[in-house]
Amino acid sequence: MSDFQELIGSFPKTREYVRDFFVYGFKTRNDFKEKSPRTYDNERRRLESWLAPYVRKDYAANGSNISLAIDSNLLDTNPLFRVWQTKSFTDNDIVLHFLILDLLQSGEKKCAEEITDSLLSEYEALFDVQAVRRKCNAYAKEGLLEKEKIGKKVVFSLDNTLSYHLRSNEDILDALAFYQMASVFGMAAHALLQHLNYHNRSFRVKHSFFVHTLEDEILFALLNAMNRKNAVQISIKSSRSENIRTVHCIPLQIFISTRSGRRFLCGYMRRYKRFTCFRLDSIKNVTPVELPDEKPAAGKQLDKSIPEEAPSKNRTSKTQQEADSPEEYDELLEKLNRNRDKLWGVSFQNESRHFLDKLRMTLQVLEPSENYILNRLKLEGRGGIVTRLSPNTYLYEIEVFDCNELLPWIRTFTGRILSLECSDKSVEQLFYRDLQTMCQMYQIKTGDEANRTNER
Amino acid sequence: MELFSELYSCYYQVLRHLLLNQNAITMQDIRAQIIEEGFEESMLSIIPKLESGTWNLFTKDGELYLSKLSPSFLEPLSDLEKSYLKALLSDSRIGLFLTQEQLEALNDMLASVTPLWKPEQLYYYDRFADGDPYDDETYRRNFRVLLHAQKKRQYVDIDYNAPSGKRVHHYYVPARLEYSVKNDKFRLLAFKHTGSRAMRLELLNIARIQNVRTTEKTLASAVDLNALIQNSYYKEPLRLRIVNERNALERAMLHFANYEKNTVKIDENTYECLIYYNQNMETELLIEVLSFGPMLTVLGNEKFLDLLKARLERQTQICI
Repeated sequence: MSDFQELIGSFPKTREYVRDFFVYGFKTRNDFKEKSPRTYDNERRRLESWLAPYVRKDYAANGSNISLAIDSNLLDTNPLFRVWQTKSFTDNDIVLHFLILDLLQSGEKKCAEEITDSLLSEYEALFDVQAVRRKCNAYAKEGLLEKEKIGKKVVFSLDNTLSYHLRSNEDILDALAFYQMASVFGMAAHALLQHLNYHNRSFRVKHSFFVHTLEDEILFALLNAMNRKNAVQISIKSSRSENIRTVHCIPLQIFISTRSGRRFLCGYMRRYKRFTCFRLDSIKNVTPVELPDEKPAAGKQLDKSIPEEAPSKNRTSKTQQEADSPEEYDELLEKLNRNRDKLWGVSFQNESRHFLDKLRMTLQVLEPSENYILNRLKLEGRGGIVTRLSPNTYLYEIEVFDCNELLPWIRTFTGRILSLECSDKSVEQLFYRDLQTMCQMYQIKTGDEANRTNER
Repeated sequence: MELFSELYSCYYQVLRHLLLNQNAITMQDIRAQIIEEGFEESMLSIIPKLESGTWNLFTKDGELYLSKLSPSFLEPLSDLEKSYLKALLSDSRIGLFLTQEQLEALNDMLASVTPLWKPEQLYYYDRFADGDPYDDETYRRNFRVLLHAQKKRQYVDIDYNAPSGKRVHHYYVPARLEYSVKNDKFRLLAFKHTGSRAMRLELLNIARIQNVRTTEKTLASAVDLNALIQNSYYKEPLRLRIVNERNALERAMLHFANYEKNTVKIDENTYECLIYYNQNMETELLIEVLSFGPMLTVLGNEKFLDLLKARLERQTQICI
């Protein structure tokens, strides 16, 4: 353990560990079979150090267990933002950070040589001019410093107007306090609040799924590609098989579930001529690429599964760039927006290979005491049509790409479902089979069983 | 633009606060700051660097450390932070916080900045369709009055349209403004005096508030909100058994990630999960459990189990 470091250089590896501990919260040393025991010990020790107030230790039969006890109802911030604060740095990094920014507070423009001299004369800090120039250039790139050329001299300066404005404006600070938990990239709001020494004591966010902050780096890369209307190559790790595959797509939109916090990339796969969604937490890597000019062979049946795409050696970048025009991107986006009306969740195709499937659910809604159910159908039914068939009986019908996705929502009406019909019969069968299973699990007699009992 | 950068490091944050001290500080002060803001083992890394002068940011005077930075030291925003701020300006809820003039001023300052995302790039596909009216002037006014009162612990006089249609009029102290991502609504968590002079927590939909008026009276001392919430949790949590089929385990773990929970592995494919909740969360939790179908088995508590069985019994009576 002598080489243990609390800070880390790279985020992706740690992302996996934090996610596993946070999401599952029951993994012991033996469960991490892929990694060496030493790696596991170091990662675990780091996690315990970063998130100490939230770590719970239990002793299970198969070894001690650590988990993160995080109740979003009780928290004013997302504890997992701390994971974003763990980047390692050098001694020069931290000293130059504070001294250079302090030196340039007046707004004066200085070149690297002048900054180096001033660091020595004003702070008794001796640095190599190259190190100072590198840091200034890096900070110009990150937007902390302004860089300009005056004659032959490259000078750096600092503009603090925005920081002063924010610090003196409590309304903006309140907005940041709220958005840190209610928006994507909450870690940026959290960083700003820390710089400005302001804490959220006014807001709570319900249905805030903290773990998804860990995907923000992937989200950032995808949004960048979307802004440039670029294609991307993404590496996807299957949550079941652990296999990693690579696919190309044109990233169009980020789909977010408010019920699980899950985020998906919705992209267009030119090769298969269709839209597909990929879970952000399964994407390991995003690389912007020029789009290959590929078309499926004429008459070829589109395969439902998406195999790994081998990178082609004979793709010419000119052709690729021409194929990937902003106009085409906008057309795809428009097409996606039109298709979204027929999308229940994130699936664009069904098991039955129909273009669209139709689902009809008849419900018993006792009027007027259960009218809130009608409200639910309206608010949660995503455009489905509700018709009153007779007193206390209502029909909900909808046409979507994949009715399978409706099942979890349909089940929330258990106790009121008079009938369920679907053009994809497997959906119907699964619903009734699951219902039977549940009745068996809880020893509830079904209609048939009850009749048989009565007959006896 | 880097998201994972030392600029946002916890160590930088500790140092920032230490360096902004106008007076000389002792090693004890430094330790206290690290305990407050650092990680559990940060002490082991930071203290030696300061003691040895490797982080040459203080002038040492015997046992005292004096910051080398000027009193007015303030860091500029990074591109990431500017870009984040710019994105917020297009959010539908920003008008709750900023007036049109404030928005324009900030927009001018960020004129050359590209927003980190645009609202149309994110699509919340299962959000409820009746989000709060963030553009409504009365709603905005009520929101601001409540926020102001919450910070000052002021009593407010609220005229409220209850879901039953009844008009209610009461005095409350705003505890928190709670936003629901799923409902796209704000609710007010408010303290209300009970007859016995104790405090009770109530939930009010901000959109249902007809009028709110601050009073001169303030709450003398802070009430422990989290203790009130935790005390409201049932003593017996919901006990679920999860058989890991159809990826149920991962789905359940993510789905219930916003509840306090504890999961243990029972055997190769079976897990048990305890979820802590209160009466306000009960119906929503029941619906969530039902949505998983037979993938989850409710083992207890009895009350929850009875609710679930009642739903199934009613279902079998009308159709199966």
